[in-house]
Order: sequence, then C-alpha cells, then structure tokens
Amino acid sequence: MKFSIYRYNPDVDKKPYMQDYDIALEDSDQMLLDALVRIKQVDDTLSLRKSCREGVCGSDSMNINGKNGLACITKLADLEQPIVLRPMPGLPVIRDLVVDMTQFFDHYNSVKPYLENNDPLPETERLQSPEDRAKLDGLYECILCGACTTSCPSFWWNPDKFVGPAGLMQAYRFIADSRDQAEEERLENLEDPYRLYRCHNIMNCVDVCPKKLNPNAAIAKIKDLKIERAKENKEAKSKTGKKIFGIKVL
Amino acid sequence: MLIELLTDRYPGMRQWLTQRLSAVAMAIYTLVLVLLVAIQQPANYAEWHAFFSPWWWRLATLLFWICLTMHAWLGVRDVLKDYVFNVVVRSYMQLLVELALIVDLIWMVTILIKMN
Repeated sequence: MKFSIYRYNPDVDKKPYMQDYDIALEDSDQMLLDALVRIKQVDDTLSLRKSCREGVCGSDSMNINGKNGLACITKLADLEQPIVLRPMPGLPVIRDLVVDMTQFFDHYNSVKPYLENNDPLPETERLQSPEDRAKLDGLYECILCGACTTSCPSFWWNPDKFVGPAGLMQAYRFIADSRDQAEEERLENLEDPYRLYRCHNIMNCVDVCPKKLNPNAAIAKIKDLKIERAKENKEAKSKTGKKIFGIKVL
Repeated sequence: MLIELLTDRYPGMRQWLTQRLSAVAMAIYTLVLVLLVAIQQPANYAEWHAFFSPWWWRLATLLFWICLTMHAWLGVRDVLKDYVFNVVVRSYMQLLVELALIVDLIWMVTILIKMN
C-alpha cells in the first residue's frame, strides 16, 4: 500500500518534505494506525502519537488525505492511494506527525472545563434528573483530539484569540450542566469579538469530528443563551423598576 | 432587549447581532422587492421610476442600503483582519472600503431624494 507522509525533524531538516512509502500489509492490518505501526517497523524515525488504538484517547489525530481524523478508527479500505498523511494544520510541528497542542489546551483551560459549584459538598454525588443529564449528551463525549479546532479557518487565522470548536463545546458542556453555578461568568468569558464570535458556521468541525459530535450546534446554543439571558435580565429589571424618591418608574 | 445587546457592554454580541439583524432586514426587503416587481412588472424607465417613487418604498430602500453598508463593512473588515497581516496595508484597505461604502450610501441617498 502506498503512502506519502509529511516528514520534518527540526534538528536535521531545513524544511519539511513528503516521504513515500510502499508497504506490504498483513490481513490483520485494517486501520490506518495498523499501517503506520507497520511503517515504523521499516522506518523507526517516523514520529507519531498513539495510545488507545480505539478512538478514545484522541492521540493519533492527523490530516488524512486532506481531512482531519483519527488514524486508529480510519479504515484503510476507505482511503484513496497514495494515502497522504500530514500533521494537523494550524499548530506548530514538533516532529513529523506530532504537533504542539499547547495553544489548543490553553484555550480549553480558558473556558474552565470543570464544575463550578460553591454549595457544600453533599454526602453522596450531586444528583441530576434524567432530563438534565440528557442535556450533556453530544457534549461530554469529546476526546479533545483537536481535529475540529485545527480544521477551522477561524482558528488558523486567530489561533491566539479564537477559542475554537473543541473549547467552545466544552464551555457549553458546563453551561448546560444543571449542577454548575457559573453560567453567567462562563457566558461573560466568551463576550469579546474573537473568543466565540469568530465562528462563522462553516461547519468544518462537524465534518471532521471522529466522534460525530456537533460543536457548531453547541456554539449556536451559547449565542442563543446569551440573547436569552439578556432578555431575562431586562425583564427582571423592568419588574423591579427603578425607584426615584420611592416612586417606581420603568 | 436587543438594543441593550448592541451596546459597548456586549462587543462580540453587538457585531454578531448587527450582521444577523441586517441580513434579516435585507432578506425581507429583497423578498418584498421580488414580489412587487413580479406583480407590477415595470417595463421601462418611467415605470421603474414610478415603482420606486412612493415615500415608504424609498424609506425601505434607504434602510436596506444602510443595512447593506453595515453588513458589508463588518464582513469585509473581518476578512481583512484575517488575511491582511500588514497593519499599514490593512489600514489603507479598510479606509478604501469605508470610503467606497460611504460614497455608495451618499449616492443612494441623493438618488432617493432626487426622485421627488
């Protein structure tokens, strides 16, 4: 099977180049990751990340024939040859298919991806109704592989400012959580013109997500919620009204 | 409610909402325009002139053009910010777009006023 793989070792190479491989595969080699492991047996200088080999850890995300995905759950039979493999776009390359995901995780951390609840800890777990729990479906499954964020042009052009689809979906995952108490701060945290609003709904994120999630829908829900909350605040204010010399005025 | 979202307090929301609201307004205008043209079928200059003459339609056209100006400005500004990295070049390009849009708007206003 024929491969063309992006190679770059900053210690040795002046610039990146594409290296061709023609590898004989075994019958058991069904997934792209199997083939990459086979290539490593021939050329152990090829670098890539891998771990769970079943689409759970998100380590082996890469650009496969022009589209981001996970090597471990991409069937070889579905790919056109030569299979062109590149590192995920928009992030600095450390070596070959390994990218530096610091920026990605900085954005992830910036949305405070953890439960904020100042109530005293209950004796058992914090319970949710089945309906509230169902609101997290399609959000919590994200494995942070970075396939969506690195296929988003808004992230390519503003990697330091735009949170990206993965980070925004995690922001919504906690906004939607009935146990979380920091909704207002979370919405406020996404107010500047870049962090959330640089999303122009081109849906590359939805197209590439290996877990078939929909970050675009989560982003749209955040925007809707911001309008909703502003409306509620306004209503609350008009109910209270302003008092001038003890007389209520609207 | 919407007015509050268009203030400095919501810088991101303001831009996003302005583009969406102007898009909705333009879509409504376009729909009405197509319908009216289909019904009245103006065929020559005089009929087109008469078509755009009513004050309410000229007002709607003016509002449409204001929406178009805002929508185009926000959109082009985003594109320039994303793709033109040299600040001096970008500033000149932004200025050029601003001038073109303002001249265009003034031109439209004069046409609409002159129709009297």
